[in-house]
Amino acid sequence: MLFHLIKIHSIRFKLIASLIAVSLLIGLISILVGGNLLYQSVLDEANNRIRQDLNVARVIYDERADTVRLALAITASATEFRKAVASDSRMIVSEALRDLSDRLKLDFLGLTDARGRVTNRYGAAGPEKTPLLSANPLVLRVLEEHKTVAGTMVLDGDKLLAENPSLANQAYINVHAVPETTDAATRQDTVALTIGAAVPVFADGHPAGVIYGGYLLNRDTAIVDKIGETVFKNEVYKGHNVGTATIFYDNFRIATSVKDPSGNRALGTVASPEVTRRVLDQGEKWTDRARVLDDWYITAYEPIKDIMGKRVGMLYVGVLEAKYADVREKAIAVFTGITLAGVIVAIILGWLFTGRIMRPVSHLIRASAEISGGNFSPDVGPISKDDIGHLQKEFLIMTEALKEREKSQMAESEIRLIQSEKQASVGKLAAGVAHEINNPLTAVLTFTHMILRRKDLPDEVRSDLETVASQTERIRGIVKSLLDFSRQTVLTPEPLDINRLIEDSVRLLENQALIKGIHLSFTGDDDLPVFTLDHNQCQSVLINMIINALDATSSGGKIEIQTQKTGTADDSGVEIRISDTGSGISPDHMDKLFDPFFTTKEVGKGTGLGLAVSAGIIQRHGGTINVHSKLESGTTFTLWLPHQPINAHPETDTGQEDQS
Amino acid sequence: MKILIVDDDPIVIQSCCRILEAEGMETRTANTVKTGEKLLAENIFDLMLTGIKMPGRDGFEMIQRAKKIRPDMPVLIMTGYLTSGTVEKSRRFGVSNYIAKPFTPEELVAAVRKARSVCEK
Ligand SMILES: Nc1ncnc2c1ncn2[C@@H]1O[C@H](COP(=O)(O)OP(=O)(O)O)[C@@H](O)[C@H]1O
Ligand SMILES: [Mg+2]
Repeated sequence: MLFHLIKIHSIRFKLIASLIAVSLLIGLISILVGGNLLYQSVLDEANNRIRQDLNVARVIYDERADTVRLALAITASATEFRKAVASDSRMIVSEALRDLSDRLKLDFLGLTDARGRVTNRYGAAGPEKTPLLSANPLVLRVLEEHKTVAGTMVLDGDKLLAENPSLANQAYINVHAVPETTDAATRQDTVALTIGAAVPVFADGHPAGVIYGGYLLNRDTAIVDKIGETVFKNEVYKGHNVGTATIFYDNFRIATSVKDPSGNRALGTVASPEVTRRVLDQGEKWTDRARVLDDWYITAYEPIKDIMGKRVGMLYVGVLEAKYADVREKAIAVFTGITLAGVIVAIILGWLFTGRIMRPVSHLIRASAEISGGNFSPDVGPISKDDIGHLQKEFLIMTEALKEREKSQMAESEIRLIQSEKQASVGKLAAGVAHEINNPLTAVLTFTHMILRRKDLPDEVRSDLETVASQTERIRGIVKSLLDFSRQTVLTPEPLDINRLIEDSVRLLENQALIKGIHLSFTGDDDLPVFTLDHNQCQSVLINMIINALDATSSGGKIEIQTQKTGTADDSGVEIRISDTGSGISPDHMDKLFDPFFTTKEVGKGTGLGLAVSAGIIQRHGGTINVHSKLESGTTFTLWLPHQPINAHPETDTGQEDQS
Repeated sequence: MKILIVDDDPIVIQSCCRILEAEGMETRTANTVKTGEKLLAENIFDLMLTGIKMPGRDGFEMIQRAKKIRPDMPVLIMTGYLTSGTVEKSRRFGVSNYIAKPFTPEELVAAVRKARSVCEK
């Protein structure tokens, strides 16, 4: 029973294991493929977005110059201002410039005359006593082209100093060499990147001067923070700004929202050589993941050109990659969760499922155990509607069949037992009686025959005596049969051709059949091997059976005898069928056929010992006798004899045999 | 011809005497092995006819003793039912012929003749 339970469980576990394997496989594949696909598309998305972000940043950057240009243009177009410039009315000009500077919070602001001499510098150390020619590239461009100019330009220390002495300080940036950069030495630079505009001032159609202004970008926070605010909504992730923006002069940061580990803006740090080469040297836009200080960013760079179109710096925006890497981690976590849930569901489903399947199966197993224990009506549990149901039904049919067989087998063996007991006791009795009868019978035979020898007997007496003699002969026959029956006569087996034996027996009775008008035929199987049988005893069995058939069959009937080889190797043997078209045997008589003294024949014709003796003989040869009969249509006796006879029955007690 | 008949049943002895005397033979009878032995020692018989199953000493005992006294005398046995066992044992004891009871006078006479002729060979 335990063995069966383990088996059940192993099926259950196999099922669950395969369900788990399937869900794990699917889970792992989705983690690997799905996670990466998702991450990749997120990265692509991030790359696209960063490019757009860079565009917005560029707009914000350019807007800065535009604002200046617009304000300057408005001022320059005011009639009053134009007149004041033309008439060099300093009071009015100063007033206008102050107003402008206050509004725009410009880092530098100035005015030149038509030849470029600085007449006014707002925010400078002091009013110019001796007007100098402006060295500001903006002014120079305007003087050249008589058109408004706006954009980026580089101002070195001297020019800065000239514009506004305080700017030189602000512009000063300590450049940190990053180890991998070729330019290993620490650089100090007061060269500054500025953004601004210059507008020509016309009076009466003639250029009267240039008004210019702008912002210093070094250490400027306005642009980068505005980018952070508008583009990235100042989103913070794990203490870091998600979005960062930087303005590079050359390859180092002069304005940035990137913070170093101590929380200061990472001014003076240098861009990677790769970026420098691609963006600054080759003028490309560049988008990729890049290491900015210690973190990985998805970044976009583009060059900043000055008003002359020369690449002087770079504009950068970047988003923290960690945020997107997290998407992958989150995806993996979710997929893992789903996989685990799948496994749990697999276990639960598998358990319930196998429970459902195995319940009837374990019922069946228990039932078969009960059957082998002898209970032929075991409980197989409720019949299920699936394939197992078929099994259960088949099982029930099988148990029914087993029950039937067991019953009939039991009945058969009971009959056989009763039969052999009956035979044994009847046999003993018969033997005893027969022996007692032998001696007086000897006397009767002797004296009857002695008297019959006398010549002087009257005919009447002689005929009476002859009757006595013949009836005594009959008694002698009965006693002989009785003894034959009761004796477990020892077999004297010899090699025998069964077909020959039957042919001989048939020949002995052919005449009788002819007289009665019965067709007696024999068909032998040519394939029969040589059997080892007791010739006389077997012949007496055959003769008795043929005589019985002759007795039961009336004129015109048929008696057919057939032999047929059966089985192979170990259980091989021969079947001898004796069929007649006679009266048949009444079912009431069927179970008495083999009883000694059972006969339906008239007194003097049958002893009722033929079949009883035959049964004993066949049994001693290890064979069987079967009867099949139908009233009014005939009877078939089927003898079966094994090729290898069950070995020698022990000789019965000689002492008993030798009774005299 | 002088014949010794040994059997425990008087009717059997009587029957045998009647048949054999009718053939002109001289008979002596014994109903125990002991008397049979005594008769054998005193007389010369041409044949001994004996039953097998007798109370006390049985027919084979009788044959054994007879063979000691008269080794050349033919022996014919009467038995109720001949089995291969009896046949086998008889051969060992030097029995000349057997006859199954019941028998007719003709059968007994024939058996006696056959026993004598077998023995003479
Ligand atoms: N072929 C047969 N057809 C009909 N009845 C048969 C046949 N063989 C046997 N019997 C019946 O079986 C009985 C017993 O047969 P058996 O033992 O040979 O004894 P007996 O032949 O002396 O009557 C017969 O009396 C007969 O009633
Ligand atoms: Mg019969």
